[in-house]
Amino acid sequence: MTAETIIQSLASGLLMGLLYGLIAVGLALIFGLMDVVNFAHGEFLMIAMYATFFLFAFFAIDPLLSAPLVAAALFVFGAVVYLLIVRFAVRAKANAGMVQIFSTFGLAIVMRGLAQYFFTPDYRSVTHSWLGGKTVSVAGIFLPVPQLVGALVAIAAFGALYLFINRTDFGRALEATREDAGAVALVGIDKNRVFALGWGLGAALVGLSGAVMAMFFYIYPDVGASFALIAYVTVALGGFGSVFGAFAGGIIVGLVEATTALLLPPSLKAVGIYAVYLLVVFVRPRGLFGSM
Amino acid sequence: MNITRRNVLLGATAAAALGPVAARAQTSEVVIGVIYPFSGASAQMGVDAQKSFETALDIINKNHDFDLPLAKGEGLPGLGGAKVRLVFADHQADPQKGRAETERLITQEKVCAVVGTYQSAVAVTVSQICERYQIPFISADNSSPSLHRRGLKFYFRAAPHDEMFSAAMFNFFDAMKKKGAKIDTLSLFHEDTIFGTDSANTQLKLAADRGYKIATDIKYRSNSPSLSAEVQQLKTANADVLMPSSYTTDGILLVKTMAELGYKPNAIVAQDAGFSEKALYDAVGDKLEGVISRGSFSLDLAAKRPMVGKINAMFKEKSGKDFNDLTSRQFMGLLVMAEAINRAKSTDGEKIREALVATDIPGEQTIMPWKRVKFDELGQNNDADPVLLQYIGGKFVTIFPPQAAIAEAVWPMK
Amino acid sequence: MDTNFAKSRRRDLILAFCLAAIAALVPLFVKDVYVQNIMVLTLMWGALSQSWNILSGYCGQISLGHALYFGIGAYTTALLFTKFGVLPWFGMIGGGVISAIIAMALGYPCFRLRGHYFVIATIVIAEIGLLLFHNWDWAGAAMGIDIPVRGDSWLKFQFTRSKLPYFYFALALACVAWFVTWWLEDSKWGYWWRAVKDNPEAAESLGVVVFNSKMGAAAVSAFLVAVGGSFYAQFVSYIDPESVMGFQFSLLMALPAVLGGIGTLWGPMLGAVILIPLTELTRSFIGGSGRGVDLIVYGGLIIAISLARPQGLVGLFAPRRKEAAR
Repeated sequence: MTAETIIQSLASGLLMGLLYGLIAVGLALIFGLMDVVNFAHGEFLMIAMYATFFLFAFFAIDPLLSAPLVAAALFVFGAVVYLLIVRFAVRAKANAGMVQIFSTFGLAIVMRGLAQYFFTPDYRSVTHSWLGGKTVSVAGIFLPVPQLVGALVAIAAFGALYLFINRTDFGRALEATREDAGAVALVGIDKNRVFALGWGLGAALVGLSGAVMAMFFYIYPDVGASFALIAYVTVALGGFGSVFGAFAGGIIVGLVEATTALLLPPSLKAVGIYAVYLLVVFVRPRGLFGSM
Repeated sequence: MNITRRNVLLGATAAAALGPVAARAQTSEVVIGVIYPFSGASAQMGVDAQKSFETALDIINKNHDFDLPLAKGEGLPGLGGAKVRLVFADHQADPQKGRAETERLITQEKVCAVVGTYQSAVAVTVSQICERYQIPFISADNSSPSLHRRGLKFYFRAAPHDEMFSAAMFNFFDAMKKKGAKIDTLSLFHEDTIFGTDSANTQLKLAADRGYKIATDIKYRSNSPSLSAEVQQLKTANADVLMPSSYTTDGILLVKTMAELGYKPNAIVAQDAGFSEKALYDAVGDKLEGVISRGSFSLDLAAKRPMVGKINAMFKEKSGKDFNDLTSRQFMGLLVMAEAINRAKSTDGEKIREALVATDIPGEQTIMPWKRVKFDELGQNNDADPVLLQYIGGKFVTIFPPQAAIAEAVWPMK
Repeated sequence: MDTNFAKSRRRDLILAFCLAAIAALVPLFVKDVYVQNIMVLTLMWGALSQSWNILSGYCGQISLGHALYFGIGAYTTALLFTKFGVLPWFGMIGGGVISAIIAMALGYPCFRLRGHYFVIATIVIAEIGLLLFHNWDWAGAAMGIDIPVRGDSWLKFQFTRSKLPYFYFALALACVAWFVTWWLEDSKWGYWWRAVKDNPEAAESLGVVVFNSKMGAAAVSAFLVAVGGSFYAQFVSYIDPESVMGFQFSLLMALPAVLGGIGTLWGPMLGAVILIPLTELTRSFIGGSGRGVDLIVYGGLIIAISLARPQGLVGLFAPRRKEAAR
């Protein structure tokens, strides 16, 4: 194992990790707002990738340009999912936790079925995008441009999210609703509206990552499954509800994955991620940055 | 759209016209079960397979002027012109479901033969059930060599298995070495499934026997979100030949990641699967100029046997794709089964099995570059010679073995 | 109240006995192996879900990693039989014991985790197990284990065509799982668990004993699930990591209980009776299209039922009894 191999692996892991963070942050945001884990998160990503693909295939819009469109579309989608399904799930009088898990899980299955129905199960790819396949090499270390841009988008998104939550009225409303949903109703904030917007925002962030992913990843109805578990682990590792936790969690997951693949047979690389998660929560039961 | 509507109309008129006859024919209808994944991650394989089987069905049930078994005339003459009907079942890549669906096909749908399954793990249970019910099973496109070595009497495979495929690759390496190409080290890259494991084990054994050095042997988790670490190791090993055994998804990601990490292998010789899928070449074909894949089908054959081109056109009309290694094997699987049922003159499992044992179809009467179809005592056809195809200028050309080749291999790849 | 409770418990027992007796007679009239196959699967998933319900429903420790125990049961039986010729009946017990021990070893650190942290820990642990079996060459790795079937034998618990022995075993397993649940409901543990659920402060005072009872519940739950896994290995006679330890098995164990009524005595079985035939029939009769319609129907039903009846379907059948149980 040469030094170059190690540095290259860590660099690739870091880029991938930032993307994992971006994929996961929507999940963290929604959980932080209303204690709900969206088990259809991977399918949101799948829809975003398909949206990017179709914008490219039919209107020749490059993923770089369509990213805001896809994010906007997912924003609407997320809000609609909240209003049609999740709103009722959180209202459940019995077994609220279970109802959330299984209604969003049912949604995941339906979304896969619908994707198969309308888009066929064939494998799609965005070919010849502006950045796709481009790579920069620095001292023998290769950094693929789509992932590089993805990492920058992730950093920018986290920065914007931080400012948004702390500096805007809506962000403050979000924060207030999260702390005490009952009290905000008294000051005239419509809880449902805030939650719907929260879901929209969470989904929009997945939309953004889907557009980036589409530049270098294949697309098919089950593609979300490859990322869903990693996204949950990322969020839990960082601490549910903590946006910064998702960011840090993503980086850790990416680096651990790369390191494990160097030490163990690559088919076991996910074991490293899972083991680190278990170690962290056994020591800190609320993840790295979760409120204790 | 137009085509589909016309087909529906044609079908409807045909059905109406045949109405009175159908009642008579029903008594001697031959039902064959076809079991594939129609939902889940590999649903596309099932969808493509369905089109291939329908093409074969068309040839059996309608009159075609091809030099193929059962092409001329309608239905099965051995059974008084009985038409073949297919029942499709979905196993969702789950061995348990494959087992249950096979049982349903046999007991409820009364199929007299079964063809399947794409996933080798499912073929294990499907063939077990067929054995228990004494119903012949043709494993159309499973390439795991362990399948026919389980002492099953009702198991048949007309197509090559991975040992035959891998042997062809190593024969090719030997031939290239004689011509002066430098092939000493190999990198294996395989997924952690039955297919990947079987393929890699065979290749490891052949490499040891024939004196090739394994530079690195990477087993990866199928459908991984990232293959950077794996590709980095391949790059470091930088073997003379990279030998991937991957399905479409990982194949696409592998090729993209190689380009991203600046790894340009000297040559790629792939164990088919993803590397014969149109989706992979649509996605990353530009990076694969000169890639070599094993296969059992080659469109080049159309030059020698014009019917291959015509049948391919029939399939393309249904599916929008050319025949590939899998769909061509599926086509042949059904044809071989129907041919045996025809000779058995019966839908009795044991009689069909006896007919299958006696099968001897010359290679010219197939769409494959095979010598012939004849099963050994384990139910394997050892005369199904695999070919190696090279992807050049956007299409595959046959480069090996010499008797089937139409071009010299480009080595190293571009 | 107490007498009411005792009376309703007696009624449950009588009802269960009658249902089991009726179920035992069904195969005498239903000869179709496909339908029998669905009945076997229904009973098996009912039994598994009932076992899962002990830990996740009554104790409130939602596990989405029970596939680990299912897989360990299946692998123990298959490996002992194919490598050492040990009869599956011993493998079943062995797999159960191993699973129970692992469940306690894992429960010790995991029961400190709350909510989603616990759920994800269970998923991740089962996933590690899956990956290890996938890479364990001696255990067949990805190739799996093909259990040779040579004729009918109760000793080897394998039957070529008949589904009846499997049916009666699955029925027995379902009865055992039900009875264990029934017995636990009225035990010391059952009281503690209810107390903790109704009143979080009670949890504090009961801390240590409740922790130990959870370990016990995890062991019982894992043992029964592993026996189910052993049964599955014999029933299918081929196992590979994906087909006994995949995440979908963990979900399939939870789903019937959730649909029927989590933490209830009858919920899991009721859920299985609805869900399993539905899954099988949608796949068999609309799954062949390759267009995912079966998934849409299946997923849609899960959403609809979980939203419309969060307390599970069991309430529909006995609204009176629920009050009695309080």
